[in-house]
Formats: sequence, structure tokens, C-alpha cells
Amino acid sequence: MNDPNYLKITKQVERSGILFSVAQQPETTRVFTGASDSKIYAFDVMAEKPEPVEYVGHESYVTGVVLAGKYLVSGGYDGRLIWWDPETRQQVRSIHAHEKWIRAVQATPDGRFVVSVADDMLGRVWDVENGTHLRDLQGHAARTPYHFPSMLYTCAISADGRYVATGDRVGHNVVWDLHNGEQVGAVETPIMHTWDPKQRIHSIGGVRSLAFSSDARLLAVGGIGTIGNIDHLDAFGRIEIFDWQKGERIFELVVDTHKGLVERMAFDPTGKWLVAAGGCHTGFIAIFDLATGEIIKHEKAPMHVHDFVLNSTADTIYAVGHGQLVVWSVTA
Amino acid sequence: MPNLPHNEFCGSPESVITRRGFFGGVATGAAGLTAANMTLLDVLQEPAFAEELKIRDKRVILLWLAGGASQLETFDPKPGRPTGGPYRAIQTSVPGVQVSELMPHLAQRLNHTAIIRSLNTHIGDHGGAATVMHLGRRSEAALKLPDLGAMISKELVRADSKVPDYVNFYTATEGRYSGVGTSGFLGSRHAPMFLTTESKPENLTRLESVSAVDHQQRADLRDLLSRRFARGRQSAALASHNEAYARVRGLMSSEKLFDISDEPQSMRDKYGPTLFGEQALVARRLIEAGTPFVKVSRAWWDSHGQNFETHLELVSELDVVMSGLVDDLQDRGLLDHTLVLTLSEFGRTPKINPSLGRDHFPSAWSISLTGCGIKGGAVYGKTDDDGQTVVDGEMGAAEVFATIFSALGIDHQKEYHVGSRPVPLTDPGTEAVAEVLA
Amino acid sequence: MWQALDVGKPTFRLSFGDLAMKCVVVCMLVLLGWAARLSAELLLPAECSIPEVVDLCIDARLQESDTIPALPADDATLVRRTTLDLVGRFPTVREVRDYLSSEAATKRVEMVDRLFRSPTFVRHQANELNMVLTHSDSDMTGYLRQAISEQHSWEQIFRELMSGEVTGADQFLKTRVQDLDRLANDTSVIFFGVNISCAQCHDHPLVTEWTQAHFYGMKSFFNRTFENGGFLGERDYGLVKYKTTAGEEITADMVFLTGSVVEEPDVVEPNDEQKKAEEAVLKEAKEKKEPPPKPSFSRREQLIDVALREGENAYFSQAIINRVWYRLFGWGLVMPLDQLHAENPASHPELLEWLARDLVAHQYDLQRLVRGLVLSRAYARSSRWEGESYPPRELYAVVNVRPLTRHQYATSLWLSSTSPDYLSGDLSAEQFEQRIGTIEAGAHGFAELIEDPTGDFQISVTEALLLNNSEQVASDFLRDAGDSLVGKLKAIQDTNVLFDTAVWNVLLRSPDEEERTALTNFIAQRQENRVGACQHLVWALLTSSECRFNY
Repeated sequence: MNDPNYLKITKQVERSGILFSVAQQPETTRVFTGASDSKIYAFDVMAEKPEPVEYVGHESYVTGVVLAGKYLVSGGYDGRLIWWDPETRQQVRSIHAHEKWIRAVQATPDGRFVVSVADDMLGRVWDVENGTHLRDLQGHAARTPYHFPSMLYTCAISADGRYVATGDRVGHNVVWDLHNGEQVGAVETPIMHTWDPKQRIHSIGGVRSLAFSSDARLLAVGGIGTIGNIDHLDAFGRIEIFDWQKGERIFELVVDTHKGLVERMAFDPTGKWLVAAGGCHTGFIAIFDLATGEIIKHEKAPMHVHDFVLNSTADTIYAVGHGQLVVWSVTA
Repeated sequence: MPNLPHNEFCGSPESVITRRGFFGGVATGAAGLTAANMTLLDVLQEPAFAEELKIRDKRVILLWLAGGASQLETFDPKPGRPTGGPYRAIQTSVPGVQVSELMPHLAQRLNHTAIIRSLNTHIGDHGGAATVMHLGRRSEAALKLPDLGAMISKELVRADSKVPDYVNFYTATEGRYSGVGTSGFLGSRHAPMFLTTESKPENLTRLESVSAVDHQQRADLRDLLSRRFARGRQSAALASHNEAYARVRGLMSSEKLFDISDEPQSMRDKYGPTLFGEQALVARRLIEAGTPFVKVSRAWWDSHGQNFETHLELVSELDVVMSGLVDDLQDRGLLDHTLVLTLSEFGRTPKINPSLGRDHFPSAWSISLTGCGIKGGAVYGKTDDDGQTVVDGEMGAAEVFATIFSALGIDHQKEYHVGSRPVPLTDPGTEAVAEVLA
Repeated sequence: MWQALDVGKPTFRLSFGDLAMKCVVVCMLVLLGWAARLSAELLLPAECSIPEVVDLCIDARLQESDTIPALPADDATLVRRTTLDLVGRFPTVREVRDYLSSEAATKRVEMVDRLFRSPTFVRHQANELNMVLTHSDSDMTGYLRQAISEQHSWEQIFRELMSGEVTGADQFLKTRVQDLDRLANDTSVIFFGVNISCAQCHDHPLVTEWTQAHFYGMKSFFNRTFENGGFLGERDYGLVKYKTTAGEEITADMVFLTGSVVEEPDVVEPNDEQKKAEEAVLKEAKEKKEPPPKPSFSRREQLIDVALREGENAYFSQAIINRVWYRLFGWGLVMPLDQLHAENPASHPELLEWLARDLVAHQYDLQRLVRGLVLSRAYARSSRWEGESYPPRELYAVVNVRPLTRHQYATSLWLSSTSPDYLSGDLSAEQFEQRIGTIEAGAHGFAELIEDPTGDFQISVTEALLLNNSEQVASDFLRDAGDSLVGKLKAIQDTNVLFDTAVWNVLLRSPDEEERTALTNFIAQRQENRVGACQHLVWALLTSSECRFNY
């Protein structure tokens, strides 16, 4: 990222429905996005009139799309993981991967493994090439302390492919060794879960995004602050950054210019900045300076952002969300 | 078999009972017949009395889903539609009828339940909508209308009843005063016992320092003073004051009803570990002991943001609680006499907003009726493919009330009188929905 | 502040000055049945006193409907009623007895003026206004006590509440700033007597004069209000948009309930640079714990201006008249209180208009209004109806029974269960007020357990159970101590004196024959436990309906 101060929208593509997940074909402007109509759409965002091609096979919201190895791998609320040939759009395999909604899918940078997390409170590690279920990451409670079913919202994989982090409804975040499924660390962010015992007697929130710094030392956890009126996402976005191996919180960052969930975060490769995006009824994108812990740039986004990709040269952000896809450039 | 007062009839004149004694002092209803010199058998054969006896054995448990529960995530799912949301529909024990996958337990018991999918109640603000769904009609400035609980308590209650007539649980603070219930012109006799904290009223036990005799006699003295004061003074609040004191002893003796600690764990597990479940279990105890109407409010469903997460929590809970209740009533042989309702003030929009929420929607929503007088498995009314409008069987709060009264065997056109003004239980011309009645 | 008026005299003893002549003439016209339909302006000159006008108008309608009103309440009842309404407590036995034994023709006025001067007056009026202004989530009595003791007019209080700059008064906005719809509707209900919330989604289904334009017009006065670090602020920009039922999107103007549109300078939505600068300024203000900068144009100030402007101020003046009237008479001139509109006329339209104009002419002096109302004949009638069918409330033929507020009930229970010796004897006025103040403060705890009366108030079994079975009631009111009623009673040997003392202390009268008999039987069965007997007796008196209501 050259200079966060030069954040500007370079493209907007409206879509009916909700786009939940996005992957970018590296070195191109081609994206794959998972939608609420159960389809995946692929298109060149910078084309004059983007003409999406469809990948049809899921039966519910497509909440994770990643490019891994030769494949496009997607997961959705139907509990299925589908491997696709990105060119022919044929399904290579379709697995009943989880009993409940898959909330996120991530791939190791080398494309060998894919991790899915779902509301059955399991993280699952899969071999990309042959689709084998390698191991479970089991450590999140199925029910909240107040007897309600819990959710396992998000996962992140470190740049060296060694660690997976998973985060859930009640603010419990675990770091796992991806290769043997053992817990190697845990950090708690209970503020991100609001339980209201008095006014409305249910809860809202949860950890919605995770990101490792490039050296894997830091883990950023994203969600929302304590909410008074839990009918709405009525609190500022919230990020807590930990030196997870030491179990120390380094930063507590509040997006005090925008309300809503922090749905996705990415560290820039130099480690100087953290990009975060999300929303409530409106959307936001914010860039934090990791030296000072201050927001140095923020914008109202044209939509509630559900996911984004920061490209390898860290100068472009492909973001998707409620009714839109937006491209930001972060370059002078 | 209804609870008849134990009476050894041997045919002798000395055994003749009066109608007053039989109904425990109730002097209402059937066409002014007196029962002097009627035998027990005569009474049972007299259709009006028998009818009245049958009616007075009915009970209602209202599960008030405050804040507006989503019909799309409960009784009228639209899977696969652009605004249907991510939850699927599942088969139920009634062929051809599907409900949201969030209600697997109720789905298996749907043969006791009728669903109405075609409500259009027009009012989209909580207070106004809750008022209409409590009164069965719009409120009037000059006339204090009674709510469903008060009317039913009046129609079903025994005069000598020692248990509360109308209990209203509302523990959450949100929306509490839209849902509070009022007896209106029926007077404080039929006002709800309003429980807001815990599941049990406070101060039900006599202080040790006061003997039972003193407790009674000082109350009598209080009553004497108050009666003198009330002469020539007309005021609903004044009447309510004396009503409240008149009910104290009866309520004190029903203290145990509110205590579920003597229920076996297996029973408590049936209802689940949450407060809503506990209160539903207390509701069963109350109606079993003779309380005609218990409202258990579950607030607050108003998922303007995060509709799917919130309904995952609340519908999952409702599924367990209501199934537990239905099972429990059935096991005890009470389901035929007990009407279990789910009502809300409105439903929720098909349109999903950017916070992944659904907003207020009175134009096409659902309610359910289970048990007494209901044709289990019936589904009345249809909405369009997306649930935007009602396409068949459109109805409002008045029809809902008419149907409820009819299920209980109460004539919904029966009139109360306020001064010289007749006030029928439901607005004139309202028809009950015969398709959901047994 | 107010003029001393000798309104205690019946009409036929008025001297025949110009003013009095006008009033007598009006009376005659009334008796001839002419006055009923003619406008207030013509027949009720501004110089008439409040009580005179009240009684003229009330009596006119009684005439018209052939209803003979109840007799005046007896003196003890009048003292009790007036004391409750002005200072929020029962009178003491001594206060009632002094009044009964006074022969002065002006004793009623003197009593009223004495009560106005008491420090309890300020506290009680603050409690009453607090009930009007707040939901249970906040308490503005601190500010209100100051405002009332400094004799702020209703206009001044309104300005202070709307400005957000006065400590304590700012709670009105602060507790509602997170929900601007609620703020707009609460303001409309409380200050203008108009509930427009139905008109949010569509034109009001029942009232033709209230449309979506009115709802969003009112909301527009508040939409720029926000909170910053505990201070209230108001932006220079921001417009309210809404959708009609036809789906048309409309940008709302500031529209007052009268339909008047308030003009404003054109607004330019700030660009990103300016917004960022604004945020920085706000952030700094938050850190420095300072209020945000004031806007160059305040929409809220526009509301204050238009609501008070001549030709527009009928809502503002009539709404407060109606509320004060409701509080003192138990039934508003317009009912319900939040339905002040053309399709819901007042029971006495000319009276409402006159009182409203009179209030405006006297700078919204609420104390003057209250004084005038409590000195009327209509206020002083009995609450017992001896006739056949109870008359419609809107005739004011008989005084309404009104449930005590939580503070009135708690304070009065404390007062009544305190030994009469504690509050009579040779106390100076100052010492007396101090003891009353102590009792009042001590009553706050119990007051929290009682519900304040709202519109359709029904006393719940919860209260009955509390009074029957709670430890607190037993230890607060039935204790056997040197300064308590029970303590005094247990030592009285003569049962008749005992009954008199007990009944006087709580009900401010003597027991009648029926009561005496019942009390005698009660005590007789409890010879071995005198203290217990006295406790139960006091309990029965304290929990009786007579003690629970203002009548």
C-alpha cells in the first residue's frame, strides 16, 4: 500500500441481492463472488459492462470463495464445500462438509489446504487436491452461556500456512496448528458479544473477522462494540489486536466514525497498516496506522461490506456486500 | 372429564342442589333460569347449563411474541426466493405443510396446530399494533376496551376461584407497556396479575408476626372502612383497589403454583433451560389449577438488524418451549381443553435490509392456534410467492379474536354493556375462520 | 406574581364595581341560557379572575344539562385535598383542626397561600412535572426544583428543556437523542397535546389534520440534534426524507402542528473534507469535555419560536392548561390528553380558550394558574354523589376520586403512621417544615415500590400483596416506637380516645357509629396483645381506600 490517504473508489458494480464473499484471480481484475441467490459470479470488474458467468450448485448463501491450487473452492449455508474448475465451471466435487451453515472458507497461500468453519462449531481442514477431510479444529462451545445455539463465524490463515485462527459468537478466538489440529493459543474478546439480560433477553454480535500479520505474530480480531439496543447494529466497529503467542493485547481500536460489524480485515504486507471494512445499515472502510493505533483514513462505503480482498501489491481492494461490488484503489 | 363438584345424589329432596351452589356462586349466562328444585341430573341435561359447564373448563395460554416475530422464519417460509432468507423449509407431520427448519420439534407435532398465514393488520408501530392485537380492534378514546385475557377471564372464570384469573408474564423491559393488558370496562376483577421479575409474585407469604386470624380480620376491618368510603364514589381505580385486596388471600394460597422446584428435572428439561421455558411451565401449572388465561410474553423479536441470527436464537427457543408445552398438555389430558396461541403485533418484511435485518410488516403475517376447538393440521390463508401480500383469506385482528372465542365455545357476538351501549366481544359482522375450527 | 383575590365570597355578595358588574351580567346571561354558544372573547373579559371564569363556564354547562352539582366538600376534606394537591401530603391533625376552628372568612385563601409558601410546594410541583416530562428512565427533579423555586414560567422551562444547555434540563433531550422519532413525538405529546406517531407511516387514519408531512415536519426540528461526549449538539445540515404510501420520496420541511412551514437558509451537505474537519473538531471537544460548537442556524430554536408565536401558540398554551386541569380535576377538558385536535373538542371550549389566553397574557405563570383553579368552587365540591345515576365526568358535577402518586402515598403513609405529638405542639413553622422534610425524604424508599398512576390506572395485586405481607411495610409503618402512631396508641386506655386518635391521624375525621362498633369488637378480641391490636388497627386504616385516594 503506497499511501492510505489516497483511498478512492474506482469502480462500482450494482447487483441485486447480497454478495457475501469474494476472491480475486491474482494479477488480474477478475473476481469470483458468492451471493445470496446461491450462485457464484465471476467477472472482470474493470470491464465496461461486466458480464458475469455463473457457477450454479449451492443451495443457499455462498459465504466463502477461495482460489486454491487449480480450483475455485466455495462454501455456503447449505453446509457444502464445492470444488469447481474455474474455467469450465464444472463441479469437480461437492462435499457435505458440515452439518450447519458454513460461515467462512480460507485457503493456505500455497493452495494446498482449505479451511472451513461452520455453526456446528467445527473448523475443518481439507486437502485441496483430493478433497480429503484431514482434521477437525474442535474447541468452540456449541451453546452460549445463556443456552442459545452459538455460531463460528470466521477463520484466518497465516501467510506461512502454519496457523489457523477461528472466532465465534461469544468472543472466543483460538489459534490452531493447521497441520496437526492442536490449539496453540487463544485470546478472548467478550466485548464483541452483547448479551442483553434485561431489555430484550437475547444476544447480538460475535467475532466476524480475523487476520494475521504477515509475520504471524499479531492476530487482529474484528467485531462490534457493546450494543445498547440489540435490535440494531448500533455500536462502533471494534478491533482488538493481540500478540497471540504472548496472550497480550496490543491494540484496542474503535472505528469511532462508523457503526457496524467489522466484517473483514487485512494487514498490508509491510505491516504498517490494517485495513478493515464492514457496516450496519451503511458501510465503512477504515485504515489504521499500526504504529499509533489511530485511524488515518476512513470512508463511508457505498454498502455494508461483507468481504474484501487486498491484492498482492496492496494497492487495490475488491470489496463486496449488500447489493454492490466496489473497487478501491489505494495508490497515489 | 371436567371437574364436577363431588355430589352424592340419592334422589331425595334434601339432595337437590341449587344452580348457584353448582357453579360456585356464578350467576351469569344462561337465560335467567333458576335451578331451585333442579336435581344434578336435570342440571347436566339442561343444555344451557351443560354448555356453560363445558365452557368454564376451557383454558388459554397465549405465547405473546413481542416485537414482531418473522413469519418467514416460522410459519410461512419462502425458501429459495430472493428475499426468502437462508433458512429452508421442512416437512411436518401434516402432509403438504411446511414450516421453517428452525422449528423441527413443532413440525413433528403440527397435527395439533392450525396456522393462519393471511393476517393483514395495517398498523406498523409497536404500540398501535400491540393494542389492536390485544383488544381485537382499535382502541377508542372514550371507551376503555378490555383485552383478550380480560374477556376470556370473564367468560371462563369461576366466581369462587382461589387462583389468579389472568396472569401476564413480561420479564424483558422492552415493549412491556404495549403488552401489559387491561381489563378496561370489565373492571379490576379481570385485570391481569402482571409479573415482571422472575416467574413468581413477591409477598405471597404471610409474615410470621401476623397470625392467620389477624391477617383475615384486619383485612375485614379494612374492607369495612373501604366500603363506607366507596359509597357514592365511582372510579375504576377505586374499584381496582378493593379488588386487589379481595384477591390477596386467594393468591397467597396459590403461591405454590409459581414454584417449579418440585417439578422433576425431566419435566423442566422438556421446556428447556431458559426463562421463557420456566414461565411456560408455570403457565401449565396455573391452568391446570384453574387459571383460565395465562399470557407468557417472550420479548423482543424486533430484528431490524441481524434477523437471521436473532431468529436462530428465538425460534429455536420457541420450538423447544412450545413443543414441550404441547407434549406436557397432551400427556396430562389437557390439550383438548387448552388453547395455545402464538400472536405477535405484526410480522417482518420480506425485504432484507443492509444490516441483514427485516423490518416491521403488518401486511402479510402468521399466527398459530393449537389445541382446544382447533382443527389440527389446518392451514388457512395464503401469501404470494415472496410473502409480500395476502392472496387468499385476508383477515385482521377481529377475525383472529372471533376464531379464538369460537374455539373456546364462546359466542363472539355476545354483548357486554357499558351504560346503554352494547359492546360485542368482537366487532359486529366479524366471522370466525371456520376452516381452522374443529 | 399573583393578585390576592377574595373569591371565597359567593356571587351575591360581590360589590358592584365595573368588573364585578360584567361578571354579574354574564351570570345573568348564563342563567338565561344565552351564554352557552357565544364566544369566550365576547363574554368572558380578560379581567375576570380564573376561579370566576372556571365556575361560570362549569355552571353554565351544568345548567344546560339540568344537572345539580354535588354540595361543597366539608372543610376537612377540602383541606386534605388542597394540601395533597399543593404540597403532596396529607395535612396533619393539627392543620385540619386549626382550619376547622377558624372563623375567618378568608381562611381558604390563607390556607392556599400558606401552602404555596411552604418549601414542600416546590418539591411536590417538581415531582408532578417530573412525571409529565420523563419516562421512568430519568429523573429531572433536581432541575425542576430549582426552576420552580425561581418561579420560571412554563415558557422558560420549555426553552430550557429544548435548548439542551441547562444542566439537568438537558436530560429531556439527552434521554431521547438516540431515538429522534421518540423525541419528536414526546415533545409533541407533552408540550402540544398531540400524539402524531400514527402519522409516521401514513396519514393519520383517524384525524384528517395530521398527515405524514406533520410527523416528519415535527421530526425535522430535531433531526440535526446529536450527542457528543455527553454534550448536546446540533448540526448545520441534514434533511429528513420519507416515503409516502404511494412510494414517493419526499424531503420534509420543518412544519409545525398548525401547518406553518418554517423557512430556513439553503443547506449544503458538507463534502468529505469538511466532514473530516467536523469530526476532528468534535473529537477534540469530546476530549476536552466541552460542548460542540453551536450551529449557525438551529432547527430546534425554530420550534421554540414558532410554538410560542402569537397565532401559533394555542397548542402550547392549551396543552399545559389541559394537563394542569387534568391533574387537579382528574379529568381533562380535552380527553385523552394527547388528542388535542379539531375532531376532539373540549368539554368546555370557551373555558379552555380563555384559560389559555389568560396564561399567555400572564407570561405562562403556572403557579398563578394552579392557585386560580384550586380556589374555584368547582374544585371544592364533594366527591360523593348522592343522586341516582352518576353524571358524566365532563360536567364536573362531582369531584373525581384520584389515586395518590407514589410520593404522595408514601409520604402520607409515613405522616399518618407518625405520632401526632411529633408534628403538633409548639413547633415553629421552620421546625415543622424541617420535620415534614425529613418524613418526605424518608418516604422515597417506599415510594419506589409503588406504581405512579397513569391514564387508566388499576391498582395491582402486587401492591395489595406488598401492603399485606412485606417486612418493610411492617417495620416502616407499624413499628412500636416513641415517635410512631402505634407507640402513642398502645398507651391509651380509653378505647374511644384510642379510636379517635387513630382514625383522626390517618383519615382526618372521627369514626362513625358503624366503624366504632367494628373497632370495639376488634380490640375486644385482642386484650392480651395491645400493641398487636394497635398495629392491626393502624394497618387497616393505612390500607383503606380512603387513605389511598385524593377525594
